[in-house]
Amino acid sequence: MTASIFLNGLQYLGYILIFPGFLFCFLCGMLLTGIDRKLVARMQKRVGPPILQPFYDFFKLCGKETIVPAAASRTTFLMAPLVGLAALVVIQLFIPIRGFSAFSGMADIIVILYLLLIPALAAILGAAASGSPYAGVGLSREMVTIIACELPLVLVLLAIARTVGSAMGTGLCFSLSEIARYQVENGSLITKLSMIPAAVAFAMVIPGETGSHPFDTAEAETEICEGMHAEYSGAPLAVFKLSHAVKVLTMTSLFVALFFGGVGTGITAVDGVIVFALCVAATALFISFVHAVTARLKIEQVFKYYWTVVSGLALVSLVLAWYGL
Amino acid sequence: MNFANMTDYHHFPIYAIMVLFLGAFIIAASGGKPSKNPNNPAGFRAWIALIATAASLCFLAALIKPVMLDGEVIAYWMGSRGISGGYAIGIALEVDALSLFFALLIATAVFVSAIYSIRYMVHDDCVPQYYVLYCLLAGGVLGLVLSGDIFNMFVMVEILTFAAVALTAFRTKVYGALEAAFKYLVVGCMGSTAILTGVILLYAQYHTLNLAQLASLIPGTMNNATKLAFAFLYIGFSTKAFIVPFHPLAADAHGAAPASISVLISGVLTKSGIYGIMRLTYFLFQTMGLGRMQFMLVFIGSVSMFVCVTMALAQHDFKRLLAYHSISQIGYVLAAVGLASALGVSAGLYHAMNHTLFKGLLFLAAGAVLHETGTTDLGKLGGLSKKMPHTTVLFLIGAFSISGVPPFNGFASKWMIYQASYQKAVDTGNIGFLLVTIIALVTSTLTLASFVKVSQSVFFGQLPKEYENVKEVPFGMRLAMGILAALCVVTGLFPKSVTALLTEPAAKAAANVGNYITSMGFKTSLPAVEVSFVEAGVWEPINWLLILCIALLGVTIVAVAGKYDHVSETTSENVETKYQLFYGGEENVYSQVGGGDLFWGFKHNWRHYFDFMHKLHSGVVNDYALWAVVALALAIVYMMIAL
Repeated sequence: MTASIFLNGLQYLGYILIFPGFLFCFLCGMLLTGIDRKLVARMQKRVGPPILQPFYDFFKLCGKETIVPAAASRTTFLMAPLVGLAALVVIQLFIPIRGFSAFSGMADIIVILYLLLIPALAAILGAAASGSPYAGVGLSREMVTIIACELPLVLVLLAIARTVGSAMGTGLCFSLSEIARYQVENGSLITKLSMIPAAVAFAMVIPGETGSHPFDTAEAETEICEGMHAEYSGAPLAVFKLSHAVKVLTMTSLFVALFFGGVGTGITAVDGVIVFALCVAATALFISFVHAVTARLKIEQVFKYYWTVVSGLALVSLVLAWYGL
Repeated sequence: MNFANMTDYHHFPIYAIMVLFLGAFIIAASGGKPSKNPNNPAGFRAWIALIATAASLCFLAALIKPVMLDGEVIAYWMGSRGISGGYAIGIALEVDALSLFFALLIATAVFVSAIYSIRYMVHDDCVPQYYVLYCLLAGGVLGLVLSGDIFNMFVMVEILTFAAVALTAFRTKVYGALEAAFKYLVVGCMGSTAILTGVILLYAQYHTLNLAQLASLIPGTMNNATKLAFAFLYIGFSTKAFIVPFHPLAADAHGAAPASISVLISGVLTKSGIYGIMRLTYFLFQTMGLGRMQFMLVFIGSVSMFVCVTMALAQHDFKRLLAYHSISQIGYVLAAVGLASALGVSAGLYHAMNHTLFKGLLFLAAGAVLHETGTTDLGKLGGLSKKMPHTTVLFLIGAFSISGVPPFNGFASKWMIYQASYQKAVDTGNIGFLLVTIIALVTSTLTLASFVKVSQSVFFGQLPKEYENVKEVPFGMRLAMGILAALCVVTGLFPKSVTALLTEPAAKAAANVGNYITSMGFKTSLPAVEVSFVEAGVWEPINWLLILCIALLGVTIVAVAGKYDHVSETTSENVETKYQLFYGGEENVYSQVGGGDLFWGFKHNWRHYFDFMHKLHSGVVNDYALWAVVALALAIVYMMIAL
């Protein structure tokens, strides 16, 4: 009895620390950003950094001195990146990888939508605590970007909940494991006509949520000195960079889980590789390609774009799903 | 009906009301001479108020077992009167789970705010009088929710309006206090008069004032006069809840009143309005089965939700901002209650409770800032987290709760509201309810934005020179905030227990009108209804928190083992001008970082809407009185069609 509890505990600890927790997030997230940087460089006719460059950057930053500005609230300033990273990794634990899910039945898609606020909020509070006016401008823009992305995401998730719910006979369904089961039985959600606009809308939200071009107004190196991260240096900055990488993984794997789910092979490692390959494809298409061909928008344009074009697409999907098409 | 034993719990409701009024009378009788203690100018009178509120809370807490868990409805006749000749003679109290639920909220908020008041009111004159009004206000609201008699509800409304207006104007030296109190007085009296008119119309028709008897008589005999009465009563209670179109009054009143009173106005007074509307629609007129009545409450709720959150985004005063959020959250409650499903009512009541807790906490935090710095202007404050670390943490807990960030209590109840409205949309096939879900979800994010603004411009950012000597607030004030913060966390982490213990019995009481009527001794043919609901979504806050803690521990260990905390600080002293901020070609003072314009990216896109709202909220009391009249006219027309 005690032995089985101990083994269970060890298993869960393994989930949290290794797969699909920290180690997996660290490796895959960093790889994704590495691939992204390489691809953007190639599309722009540059050689670009090696794919492992994010790892080098991370370890180098960890070795650097950490400076806390005199105007900063020290504890909040230093704790914010850690809380953000931990919260992100926990979200990754809830996203199913084909048939495999580490902790099912604990949080569903709307909850995940709100859990995604925690890392963003941690970054915002860290920036606010730094006391820098550049960070102040950065966090203002970040918050507006969050509001901008929220509406289309909500509409997409409600459309999915309706589609899956009506097929499952419960009317509405927010559970990620149910959505995964639906896709095993009926094929990926992307194959449904009514879900295509939603998938496109979600794909458009990915660069906004991860803060890449053309929606990187909150960082805007050339204009407000990296905005929220203006005062960060050393290890805390490394943790923020890592959080960004994990967020790329989280958003793309959520996209894959919602729209490209389906029958798994039964072997978790193989499933993991398949999902990761799909994540790479999503990153290449929705982050790298968009990054390479666009220039930064102004913040009010970002907001307008999300609340008109993207929300419109998502709304089409919701209405179609509502009338059972 | 003769309870010989004085300690019988059937007496407790009247005791709970009596101790508060008794406290008010003792304090008033003890004269207005301030004590010599600089830390407590009211002397023993503050302790009387504290003991009275604590006793009241204890009496109500003792009722949780019989009323909430065993489902008993306490019908209590004052002066051994009762039913004679088929009519209710005399004054009655009737306490079902719904009444007790609201009473518990009220007693908790009143008690915590009394703790806070002791140290908070040290700079004021006439503090003994403050406690007289304080106890009167508390007693009035408690009497309102426990009353079994519609005329006594009106009497209590009068008492609480009187006390609330006087307390709004309590700091007469504060700019705008008298004006705010005058506005409140005018529109509040219109509301009270509307309630009285409604009561008269009902009494003329049914020759009784007892709620249970009215509930047994009205539904079968609805005519134009009763519909008129309904419209009057509805508008009367709306003014007490400050829902649209009465929201501007709340902003003025909160802005001027002492923070401890803002807690009561937002956490307690608005709840009494919601309670009145619930009694009206679920019990007296039993109209919640009608689609049109549901539509009205959900519509008004959603409009309140959205309009007030956008109004809050445009504010640059801490307390006015909180005031608008207060109404926005009340919008959530009203919309959820209006869904008329078991899940909806349960979710609405849960949110009402959470609103009392987190909004109380936020107002107390605003009061702490005001107490130490003397201002609540977001443009002037900044960087207080270094001077007031405890207040900052407590404020953040309140801010996360109201913004619906997991795992705090605001998320737990909003999450139920989203499900309830979506479920309702699916069940009825009405896409309008879906819109409510979307508005609720978006409003939640806007709320978060608003509180990011507050934390950036009050607690973080740069500390202005004049606040360099600011200190943390006294322990008594932190204790009051700490109690509310702890409750916010606990009710967020154990949503299942809260639902089972408090909101589900109350929702059940709201559905079982028949039980309410028969407990008082009247006849009805309404059947008993079983209330149960399943939640479509899953959310396990405890497990999530456990995983997060493990993850956080892991990250922290790695971070500390590395070179994470090897830091060197830069100094801002003697920095040359060329290193100072240069943003957009202007100095720091002119950049858009501080105060009200933090989210101009959002506001720019909504500029026409904001311009329109700005013109609409003229701040002239004549306009607001006109709004009240128009609202009443619209309500009358609507009731004539809807019922």
